[in-house]
Amino acid sequence: MLRGFGAALAKDLRLLARDRVGLVFLIIAPMVVITVAGLSLASLYGVKSAGDTVSLLPIVDNDGGWVGRAIAEHLAHEPDLETRAVSSTDDARDLVRRKQAAVALVIPAGTSAAIADGGRGHLVLYTDPVRWIERGRLYAVVQDLRHGLEAAAHDEATVALAGTRTRTDEARAALARSAQELDDGLARLRSQLADLQAESERRVAGGRHELAAQLARVAAERRAEASARLATVLAPLRGFLADLARSEQAFGTWLDTVRERAGRFADRIPPPPAPPAIPPELTELAHMEPQALVERLLPADDSAARLPSLPHVDPLPLPAFPRPELPSLPELPALRLPGLIDLEETSVTGAPHRLNPFDQNVPGFSITFLLLGVLLGVSLGFLDERDWGTLARLRTTPTPLAAVVLAKLAARFAIGLAQMLVLFAVGRAAFGVSLGRTPWALLLPTTGIVFAGTAFGLVVAGLTQSREAVLPLGSIVILTMAAMGGCWWPLDLEPRWMQRAALVFPTTWAMDAYNDLMIRRQPAPAVLAATGVLAGFGVLYLALGLVLFRHRVRQVL
Amino acid sequence: MTPLILVDGLRKRFATRVALDGVALTVGAGEIVGLLGPNGAGKSTTLSILATLLPFDDGSVTIAEQPLPAAAARARRALGFVPQRPAFYPTLSARENLRFFARMLGLPSREAAHGVTEVLQLAGLEGRADEPVDRFSGGMQRRLNLACGILHRPRVLLLDEPAVGVDPQSRERLFETVLGLAANGTAVLYSTNQMEEAERLCARVVLLDLGRVVASGTPPALVAQAGVSATVHVRTAHALPKGWLATQGARVLESSDGTTAVAISHSGVVPAVLADVLRAGGDILDFTLHRPTLADAFFSLTGRALRDEGESAAAAG
Repeated sequence: MLRGFGAALAKDLRLLARDRVGLVFLIIAPMVVITVAGLSLASLYGVKSAGDTVSLLPIVDNDGGWVGRAIAEHLAHEPDLETRAVSSTDDARDLVRRKQAAVALVIPAGTSAAIADGGRGHLVLYTDPVRWIERGRLYAVVQDLRHGLEAAAHDEATVALAGTRTRTDEARAALARSAQELDDGLARLRSQLADLQAESERRVAGGRHELAAQLARVAAERRAEASARLATVLAPLRGFLADLARSEQAFGTWLDTVRERAGRFADRIPPPPAPPAIPPELTELAHMEPQALVERLLPADDSAARLPSLPHVDPLPLPAFPRPELPSLPELPALRLPGLIDLEETSVTGAPHRLNPFDQNVPGFSITFLLLGVLLGVSLGFLDERDWGTLARLRTTPTPLAAVVLAKLAARFAIGLAQMLVLFAVGRAAFGVSLGRTPWALLLPTTGIVFAGTAFGLVVAGLTQSREAVLPLGSIVILTMAAMGGCWWPLDLEPRWMQRAALVFPTTWAMDAYNDLMIRRQPAPAVLAATGVLAGFGVLYLALGLVLFRHRVRQVL
Repeated sequence: MTPLILVDGLRKRFATRVALDGVALTVGAGEIVGLLGPNGAGKSTTLSILATLLPFDDGSVTIAEQPLPAAAARARRALGFVPQRPAFYPTLSARENLRFFARMLGLPSREAAHGVTEVLQLAGLEGRADEPVDRFSGGMQRRLNLACGILHRPRVLLLDEPAVGVDPQSRERLFETVLGLAANGTAVLYSTNQMEEAERLCARVVLLDLGRVVASGTPPALVAQAGVSATVHVRTAHALPKGWLATQGARVLESSDGTTAVAISHSGVVPAVLADVLRAGGDILDFTLHRPTLADAFFSLTGRALRDEGESAAAAG
């Protein structure tokens, strides 16, 4: 039993050792996949993968203020990021739409001013959500930038406030000193004013006394003058009154005479008109001494009341008023706190911000298994034909070999097409994958990738002589195409050089087209170019495959 | 009349190995010509070139008046090829296989259906025509293999060892079919290393060895050309004494351990040889008469056997 087991074991190990192709399959194929996966997924684990992983970030600075300058300065030091100043938002959108960038940053006009004024500024991100890894990274960068700007603004405001506080304290101290100086000056001023007031009062009293003396003199002079003038003036009056009194006396005498003479008729004589009575004041006035009259009219004690206007007294010159050196208060800074910065994301490719992972996985793994089916199917199918001898038999018939080959490819093409349609239908029903705006347009990349995959199967058939060779070669090709082409993970997960290298695979173009249709919700014309490339791959593979296959057929028969 | 198969000076080299070196042969309409030679002689290479499967380096090949390789496409219309290994789709039925190959051979739908029915009867497969052919026995598969090659009644039929491993019943049916085709004017080139098949079917035989035509002609002519004669093998109870053979036209080839081989000029001298044995006191245990065959002729001409012992056993089995 053990001897038999040992012999059988040794035999199988010997067979395996002699099966070099099998060894290749065991070692090389996994190594290829490990390498591709390792390079592709390095960034997922936060490890910088080999090669160029620089992301492009177009920046449109419509603001032209400090925000833009700060962003440019900050991003200049950001590793693995290439910023590109773009003149217009349309150009930025275009770069994202053309998939040259996952994110574009727009600084709207007035952002700096709004933030500085304490308002809310906002930055606009034009994104392609399909490239969610790169978008996430750039989003984080911009978020970091945004927080940095806010922090910087906050710090700047804090420093400004601290400076203002210091300057204000200094100003307040200076103001206090000035106030003290002002108080001292005012005290001195009050003292001077008191002195001035006392001097003035003294001068006024002197002036008043002198004035009173002058007035008394003037009054005495005027009384004397008045007394003299009154004596002169009253003399006629006195004479008149004396004449009048004599006349009245004469008239009375006369009248008495008359009456006496009139005798009996004396009653008939009307009383003579009474002469006007002489006012007693006039009589008194006429009989008063001029001096007394002057004293009466100009009493001596009224002189002060009837003083003439005071003589002009020039005030003493004011003492020099100390001009206080008031400190100039510092300009108040804008004490408003800096405003916050909002991030506004706009998907410019039509893709929603939240992705259904099956929108990526259903086409990706459908392509993988499509390739397994058509690529291995075609190449193994031709090997079957060769092993069955039917290929040789068919070559002896009038039917051209090309027709035989194309018919086999057409059959595989139809099967592959049906396979893809069924998988998409299941994906729709089970996982709700998006079929895009125009579901029929999915036929474009589907037809293209099935054609290219089928034709590539002919290339593999032309390169391989045995099914032991098909399996490793086919596996390496399929796994590499699928992995690098973005079938298993988003293409933007891969280093840039790998993304560029992946353009030689039809899977890359197919996935791009599926992403355009299913996630970015683009119309059918958006995938015409990718479909054309896939058709080109198919034609190229078909031509190469026919040459290789014809050569191989002639070699092996 | 121009032969339907005309080969002259045919040369083919695989890298440094010369596979064919000036092969020349012709096959006329209604003629069955055997291509006889051991493994590696160049039979399959010759047939592959004639079947337009392989390009050749030098010489000229004409199939049904169509020169190769220039007119290969036209030649294929006249060509029926039956490869050494059965060539069909194992998971399809016999009918499906035949129908497919009929269409590939250019037969219109109605003719294809008629041809399928006809060859199924010829091959004796009409009763199991709708079974997957991987369930067929080796003999049935060989018959189907032949049927696939004659669907379109080809003017030229190339058979590459079609009867290898076939049971006697299937082999007989296969022979009858080939003979029937030849009778209807088909030129048949029959490659084999079975001299019996060649002698049974072929009016002419081309002996091929190491890529060269060693000899060609009718089987008796080839035997005669090789100078080989019939032999009588006599086993006696005791060894025969020296000088025991007195018959004219006979000579002792070898003698050991009571077995003696005697070459004879013709079968008429056999009684005289046996009489000589008896006269010499030989107690005859048994004797056999061996007529010269193409294998003998081939051996005589090349010093090599047509088949090794293993192949002989397999063929016998």
